[in-house]
Amino acid sequence: MPALPRRRRKQFFVRRKVCRFCVDSKLIIDYKDAATLRQFITERGKIIPRRISGNCARHQRHLTRAIKRARLLALMPYVPSPPPA
Amino acid sequence: MRRYETVWVVNGDLPDEEVKATIDKFTNIITGQGGTLVSVEEWGRRKLAYKIEGTLRGYYIIADFAGLPDAVKELERNYRIDDRVIRYLTMKKADKVDVAALEAEMAAKAQEAARRTAEAEKAAAEAAAQEAAAAASPAPPAAAEATTPPAEEKPPEAEPAAAPEKEK
Repeated sequence: MPALPRRRRKQFFVRRKVCRFCVDSKLIIDYKDAATLRQFITERGKIIPRRISGNCARHQRHLTRAIKRARLLALMPYVPSPPPA
Repeated sequence: MRRYETVWVVNGDLPDEEVKATIDKFTNIITGQGGTLVSVEEWGRRKLAYKIEGTLRGYYIIADFAGLPDAVKELERNYRIDDRVIRYLTMKKADKVDVAALEAEMAAKAQEAARRTAEAEKAAAEAAAQEAAAAASPAPPAAAEATTPPAEEKPPEAEPAAAPEKEK
């Protein structure tokens, strides 16, 4: 069986991600605003990396700090609590 | 003077009096250390994201104040001593505080608060008046008015749709 033509590698569109905090100045990073911070953690409670979220370095840094503060105050989980069995 | 924001979480299983007692205690420490209290905000009881000292409920209190670093030291020392406090966090918001500006801000806040309470009272009075009026006159007329228009609209729509079918 002849090999399928594989000249071009899989093409995929790289959508340019932009920092949401740079775009929307109304969106401020605050450790008390757990609802917003929650958008930047995974289901496992991990902070979503910049690579994926598209945040700029400055805002990612502020965000990380805010998430860690919120965790300390138990506004956000370090590790999600297991679902009730 | 520096501007700080401090949050403390009181064990949510404690009665309200205990919670209020902590507010008095810590605000007194701030003012006692020469600080100026700007605002105290209570979030009330919230579910904690994880268990702290065996409880899942916490009463959140946030205070905004201006003071010296020593005031924060004293405040945090007391947080650690007090068993009712399960978590605390103090943040510096500004290095320098313009006392005059701060006072102006507080005055504006007080005005805003006064305006809001006045509005709330007005709204409450209006609501009470409306309620009294509603109680005086029976409600059915209003309900009937709301239901009749849709009922009238329906028949014209149904007729054109039914007519072509009959022609076939």
